[in-house]
Amino acid sequence: MSKSLLSIQEVTKNFAEVEALQGISLEIYSGEIVGLVGSNGAGKTTLLRLMAGVYKPSSGSVNLSNGKPVASMRQELGVVPESTGLYSRLTAWENIRYHSRMHGVPDSIAWARTEKFAEHLDMKDSLSRHTKGFSRGMRQKTALLRALAHGPNILLLDEPTAGLDITSARTVRALVRQLRDEGGTVIYSTHQLAEAQQVCDRIVIIHNGEIRADGSPTKLLQDTNTQSLEDAYVSLTLDQARTRQEDNGKESAFSGWWRRLFTPRAPDTTLEVNEDE
Amino acid sequence: MSDGSLKRVGAIAKKEIVEFTRDWRTIIAIIVIPLLMFPLLFIMFPVLLESEAAELDALELSIIIQTDALPENLGENISFNGIDFSVELLPNLSSLSVPGNDLERVRNSSTDAVLRLQTNEDVWSYAILHLSTSERSNEARNRILNVLSDWEDSEVRERIEQGGMDVNSTLDPLRWDGEISDADVATSGEQSGMILSLFIPLVLAIWTYSSAIQPSIDMTAGERERGTLEALLCLPCTRMELLLGKWLAVATITGVGVLLQICGLLFAIGYLASSSFIGVPQLSMISIGLIVLSIMLFAIMVVAFELALAMRSHSVKEAGSILAPALMLILFPALFTQVINLDGIEGFWFAIPVVNILLALRELLMNRVITEHVLIWAVSSVIYASLAAYYASRQFNREDIVTSLS
Repeated sequence: MSKSLLSIQEVTKNFAEVEALQGISLEIYSGEIVGLVGSNGAGKTTLLRLMAGVYKPSSGSVNLSNGKPVASMRQELGVVPESTGLYSRLTAWENIRYHSRMHGVPDSIAWARTEKFAEHLDMKDSLSRHTKGFSRGMRQKTALLRALAHGPNILLLDEPTAGLDITSARTVRALVRQLRDEGGTVIYSTHQLAEAQQVCDRIVIIHNGEIRADGSPTKLLQDTNTQSLEDAYVSLTLDQARTRQEDNGKESAFSGWWRRLFTPRAPDTTLEVNEDE
Repeated sequence: MSDGSLKRVGAIAKKEIVEFTRDWRTIIAIIVIPLLMFPLLFIMFPVLLESEAAELDALELSIIIQTDALPENLGENISFNGIDFSVELLPNLSSLSVPGNDLERVRNSSTDAVLRLQTNEDVWSYAILHLSTSERSNEARNRILNVLSDWEDSEVRERIEQGGMDVNSTLDPLRWDGEISDADVATSGEQSGMILSLFIPLVLAIWTYSSAIQPSIDMTAGERERGTLEALLCLPCTRMELLLGKWLAVATITGVGVLLQICGLLFAIGYLASSSFIGVPQLSMISIGLIVLSIMLFAIMVVAFELALAMRSHSVKEAGSILAPALMLILFPALFTQVINLDGIEGFWFAIPVVNILLALRELLMNRVITEHVLIWAVSSVIYASLAAYYASRQFNREDIVTSLS
């Protein structure tokens, strides 16, 4: 078995009254592609942010296998967030170079890596273009190039194929597998079961802030005694999914009162409607 | 701070400035407007005033003179000033200022004014009925007053001569000897410093705050709204480095804006206004150094405060609605500071936030370096700047700033 890279122990994360993650324990091993699968609001993005050290757990710990906090491994981390996070007044290459410089990587090395991966993603001609007019797919690819340019050992990808056409999505999946084959570790968040099945060595199903299953696609089918991953997923997530809630900002009593003052009430559905009117 | 840390702060600041300058609207707002605002005002305002004055001079006015006896030379002078007039008998009123039946005539502009003139042996009484909201009527009133003033002057001289007295010594028994300006022991440099101290601190304070609003919001709440902050927070840089980089960028943009505005103002005063109005202030090297220090401390405090408020906000709109009215926190102390008398001023004034730096600038522009005052404003400003920086760092360390609102 590969060596453990990241250890998540009994992690809970709260946003105001909402418990986004509850008692999560997970080991991430070097050289594997781990798929985090769940519906919107399940807690995938929160877990990724905890792994990136952007969030601190309310309780429990997220540490490297050597016991150090995750923030200390950011040098080895490549992240593609859900929102891509590109600056529209910069070109694609300037966006990539900015992050590489923050990693302390010389421009020449970052450019060489970017060129190599841009070829794969059919993005080479777009590197000198401002990202303002980019489609969702191009933004996604640029964010991926940016995450790869400094040569990370660990990739955190939040819905990396969202908005991509079929060919581009396939290219991204192939690239992810190639990175794994070269020794990298990829944590891949998605709500597409089919995609997780194609790409991931291991699937972690998250629902309402809890881990409902963790294992290879074959193991999940065996454990749930189902014929397809979709059936397995449904059998594990029968309770109603909650809505997304991440904002930790507390609203003052006055702000709440003022907002409600100008918010119309929902129509009263118990009123009888006179069809003649 | 390590070399890597400095490089990261530099990279953040550089990226922010590059991104900011690529929007032409911000260049106009931060560079072009501050540079041209005062020169344009100084050029256009006098031109506008001159053209308005010429227009008024060219007006042909008509008035009614109500009198029981019109001096001949007075009537000639009125005609000479571009006023047509007709003469009527004085109505019977309790005082000449009561409009009586002439009220409507002036109000509906059938005449521009009514001059009432009454003689009572050696004394003349007069009143001018006019409509103060009408430019024509005001102009008529002003021309009549000028003519009356000249006529009164000649009457006074004539009467003094008739009394056998010398006109000049009677009218002007006390005179200043020599040039008034020669008697002022302040040097021209000191006088310039005094004049500059009346508006440079005000411009500096208001423009520093207002020109930092837009970049502060764009680099904090703007990033949050556009969802670019999350990727940035995953990079190997600390939140403090992020704050420093952004602070440096906002301070640079603001500094350039303020500097250009002051250059534009000084150019306008030096070359476009009457050139003798102001010169170069006479400042020692210590004063110049302390001016730079005070501006830096002020900029640290203001920019950190604005970054903190903007980072607290959930959106660009919210940040704008907080930062714009907060300008009052600078504007009121700045206006208040202008009227404080610096002679014998108590030390505590130099410990009040915002007021301290503006008073310090006023003193220093007059080349007054008072050790006690310098110590008070320097120490208090360092404390306020540190508090603002600490508050900003707390906002940058908030976990919820990662949440994108887009």
